[in-house]
Amino acid sequence: MANVPWAEVCEKFQAALALSRVELHKNPEKEPYKSKYSARALLEEVKALLGPAPEDEDERPEADDGPGADDHALGLPAEVVEPEGPVGQLAVRLAVIEFHLGVNHIDTEELSAGEEHLVKCLRLLRRYRLSHDCISLCIQAQNNLGILWSEREEIETAQAYLESSEALYNQYMKEVGSPPLEPTECFLPEEEKLTEQERSKRFEKVYTHNLYYLAQVYQHLEMFEKAAHYCHSTLKRQLEHNAYHPIEWAINAATLSQFYINKLCFMEARHCLSAANVIFGQTGKISATEDSPEAEGEVPELYHQRKGEIARCWIKYCLTLMQNAQLSMQDNIGELDLDKQSELRALRKKELDEEESIRKKAVQFGTGELCDAISAVEEKVSYLRPLDFEEARELFLLGQHYVFEAKEFFQIDGYVTDHIEIVQDHSALFKVLAFFETDMERRCKMHKRRIAMLEPLTVDLNPQYYLLVNRQIQFEIAHAYYDMMDLKVAIADRLRDPDSHIVKKINNLNKSALKYYQLFLDSLRDPNKVFPEHIGEDVLRPAMLAKFRVARLYGKIITADPKKELENLATSLEHYKFIVDYCEKHPEAAQEIEAELELSKEMVSLLPTKMERFRTKMALT
Amino acid sequence: MSGASVKVAVRVRPFNSRETSKESKCIIQMQGNSTSIINPKNPKEAPKSFSFDYSYWSHTSPEDPCFASQNRVYNDIGKEMLLHAFEGYNVCIFAYGQTGAGKSYTMMGKQEESQAGIIPQLCEELFEKINDNCNEEMSYSVEVSYMEIYCERVRDLLNPKNKGNLRVREHPLLGPYVEDLSKLAVTSYTDIADLMDAGNKARTVAATNMNETSSRSHAVFTIVFTQKKHDNETNLSTEKVSKISLVDLAGSERADSTGAKGTRLKEGANINKSLTTLGKVISALAEVVSFILHYKGSCVYSANILGDILLLSVKVVLLWPFM
Repeated sequence: MANVPWAEVCEKFQAALALSRVELHKNPEKEPYKSKYSARALLEEVKALLGPAPEDEDERPEADDGPGADDHALGLPAEVVEPEGPVGQLAVRLAVIEFHLGVNHIDTEELSAGEEHLVKCLRLLRRYRLSHDCISLCIQAQNNLGILWSEREEIETAQAYLESSEALYNQYMKEVGSPPLEPTECFLPEEEKLTEQERSKRFEKVYTHNLYYLAQVYQHLEMFEKAAHYCHSTLKRQLEHNAYHPIEWAINAATLSQFYINKLCFMEARHCLSAANVIFGQTGKISATEDSPEAEGEVPELYHQRKGEIARCWIKYCLTLMQNAQLSMQDNIGELDLDKQSELRALRKKELDEEESIRKKAVQFGTGELCDAISAVEEKVSYLRPLDFEEARELFLLGQHYVFEAKEFFQIDGYVTDHIEIVQDHSALFKVLAFFETDMERRCKMHKRRIAMLEPLTVDLNPQYYLLVNRQIQFEIAHAYYDMMDLKVAIADRLRDPDSHIVKKINNLNKSALKYYQLFLDSLRDPNKVFPEHIGEDVLRPAMLAKFRVARLYGKIITADPKKELENLATSLEHYKFIVDYCEKHPEAAQEIEAELELSKEMVSLLPTKMERFRTKMALT
Repeated sequence: MSGASVKVAVRVRPFNSRETSKESKCIIQMQGNSTSIINPKNPKEAPKSFSFDYSYWSHTSPEDPCFASQNRVYNDIGKEMLLHAFEGYNVCIFAYGQTGAGKSYTMMGKQEESQAGIIPQLCEELFEKINDNCNEEMSYSVEVSYMEIYCERVRDLLNPKNKGNLRVREHPLLGPYVEDLSKLAVTSYTDIADLMDAGNKARTVAATNMNETSSRSHAVFTIVFTQKKHDNETNLSTEKVSKISLVDLAGSERADSTGAKGTRLKEGANINKSLTTLGKVISALAEVVSFILHYKGSCVYSANILGDILLLSVKVVLLWPFM
């Protein structure tokens, strides 16, 4: 080493670090990397002062240092070797400099140079990878190489580096375990060296980032379950190391629950949502860490917004769980199948037996007090598919509770689209609850509630701006009236003497259903009120369904007047014919509504005969 | 997209000095309203032709009878837009093309004689018509706003000190709007020009962060034109409000995927270093699109605003200057 006091070398290094941390926008406008270049110069000076790298007995030509070419480079080392003596010490110091030079070049968009330095760093540490002095540096260098290769879109290479880091961490913790040296410490005087606690904190942070980078890699490789698992682990570690901002953590956990919901993993989803509730409740008690992105003034609004968003995640949980149950228990006309219900009841016992073993395998958040708090929330919510009305009702009530909470923030004035989606979810909750309800009058009331919450939306919204949403709502209202009508008909069928009152009710519901299906179909017309020759694929199925139901509705109008009856049958036939004709001209439409097309063809062949018989009967009387 | 009629115009500019010095060949030909492109690697191959509503040949100079001047472009496109605006309709013009393709020249033009672009000509005529009005029952007001959309952020270019990112809200009747976007009253084209200049300067300043480049942001300049008619007999007033939207779409530069210096797309397989992006990664996994829109901060908002401008415009013109 040259005759420069060690203290000076350290100072240079610290100065270089300080310059590296200067934010880019603080540099002159035309020289955003000025501070980085200055840092680089200082690092090069330190490197020169340290002298040449120690001779490497296993010296292999540079080309073999890529991750693919040399399996040993990334493989797990057989033993722990601590760098000792001046040779070891020099290797470590140089490695730290090479590391920082590597990161510096990457920050200034010079990837090749960055790669060179990082690879050199790893080569210097080759023998000492598992050591207390070098493990952190090694992992960080590999992580940075992983990120570098991802920028070159070589994801598998990135994966190799990052998985190697993960394996190294695990092996180190198993075989050594003590909090390792933080790389920059070798340029710090003895008295400034870090505490064990601080070293552990930083090392764990490095590993948390490692897991996070792997989550992203798996996502790009479309290994979604694995990616979710790693996100889950990242969240878990953030909690364990107190490195989180409650609002941000909570919304992340709630969002992750949606992934699990999509995969029908309700136990995991429930766990994420419960944790989200508990951690969100910590807001205000924990101070923000450096990982929190929100600005001071934004917190209050953000708090309410996130609260609303978490509520919406809960709504989806309740709704999906109920709908999943419906799917497994419905027959071919959408009613509850008692046999299927019994089967699932029998399955329930098995599900409960397996519960413990599933729970053990899942990633759990928190320990001790936190774990208890989360369990307290979990206990109030079922994760199993509801099998009867009572169980369904519990989920319904929970979902409804969150509907009200979500609407507090997502009011219609300001958040139209979000507000409407929440109302649609509320309507869906009623709809799925009706599936479990056995009493028909009560089912009717549920559909009535749906209509009551949806109808005002069609009045309040500007149809020009909210065309799509308006159509969805009209279609849903029409279907609700349609279902109500069918229920009233079933109720009337059971009565010995169906009176004129119920007949009137049935016809009114019919009329309302027709009104909304017609509104929906009219919305498809062009400005000249012409119905499209070719219906767009995004509205094809609903349009055909609407036509089909209109046909059926006309056939179900109850009237004593034979002339009117004939007229209705004619209109009904017209609509059935439209469907058959359109499907002939557009085969893709036939695929969308197979069942309805079959029925339409039947009606087209049967109705004319029925109408003819009707006419002759009328002529005779 | 009922009600809107969309017209597409393409325009080809003259070579710049660099292209001339390299003896570049022009591979574009125009005939009537169709444009054809020759394959430079295989000139014998039949050129590919495309029909547009307007194909503007501005590659040569005014001496060429086929040359499409700024006036010609304005007369075809601008005049009709103004007419529709006076009728109370919303109109919109999108300019799209690589940096250097000539969008600014077509939209803004130069201060020299007969080189004014669509916008100055449109504004001049707008104010001319207003000032020429003799009907005392009519009164007019013109306001402008200028915003920049860059993925998750909407910035008010006429009030750049408002550091905040403007929120896009939705009103049940008025539809989506940008909250707190400045709307400044103007009485002449000079006012408008000054505001556009100031706004443009605000755009460049925003791009000092090396991860953002102004060529990746969209700029939307809106003229809100209100016509009030006061009926002296009934003492009632009626109002017609039309919006003229001028959208400068982000430059369509292609990125060098090896990560070399220059314009670079930051999307793709890049790994994000900071844990602050954990939310984005989880959102992507959950595939929740419309739902956690605010959180994800996706570009859907910009699509929303742009889409709504499109939806509400009676006449939309797409200008595509060619290099």
